Amino acid sequence: MIDLIVFSIGLTLLTIGTIFDLIGSIGLLKFPNFYIRLHAATIGAIGGAVVPLIGLALIALSLGPDVLPNNYAISGACFVTALLILIVAPTGSHALAYATHKARVVEWNPVCDHLKEDEVK
Amino acid sequence: MSLLENIFMNAVLILMPIYLTSFVIYVIRAVKGPTISDVVLAIDCLSYDLAVFLAVLSIYFKSVFLVSSAIMLALWAYLLDIYIAKHLVSKEVGA
Repeated sequence: MIDLIVFSIGLTLLTIGTIFDLIGSIGLLKFPNFYIRLHAATIGAIGGAVVPLIGLALIALSLGPDVLPNNYAISGACFVTALLILIVAPTGSHALAYATHKARVVEWNPVCDHLKEDEVK
Repeated sequence: MSLLENIFMNAVLILMPIYLTSFVIYVIRAVKGPTISDVVLAIDCLSYDLAVFLAVLSIYFKSVFLVSSAIMLALWAYLLDIYIAKHLVSKEVGA
């Protein structure tokens, strides 16, 4: 019974992650410039990778060692990968956004840009 | 084949085509991207999703070796981010 509950939670998380990933990819294709695309990319990274990996960890935990050999190793690796992406994806996105703004690669017309004003001073 | 395994095998056949569709859209943005930052952003998302896809395949094919490369993929995307950011800020990748 507890297997069925854990499996249902895992499958729900996997489905939610798939929908998030589709939404994030469509946003990454359709949004106008880089700084707005960054928002969609973070949805695709956190909602589309961390959530389904936790779901897969729960699924592998619920399947049991006689159905899936080495299921504890697979579950642990999925959980560790989810934790790593949770730490690494916002850090990388922030570094990339800072560097892009610093190098002035992107052409855009913001209403106000306080970081640029601070750099001019 | 037990009940839960049967449900999972059928769910993968429904969910993974949606996932592969988003892969294709990420590749379109990576090819099209006007600046280098867009390309790196799309490659990042592609790597994280590839890690998830490898984990799904590892449960689907019942092999423990496939899942170990998912950790490396996640760290590789972070490395790409940091290198490109360093290159954009200081025009060199060094110490």
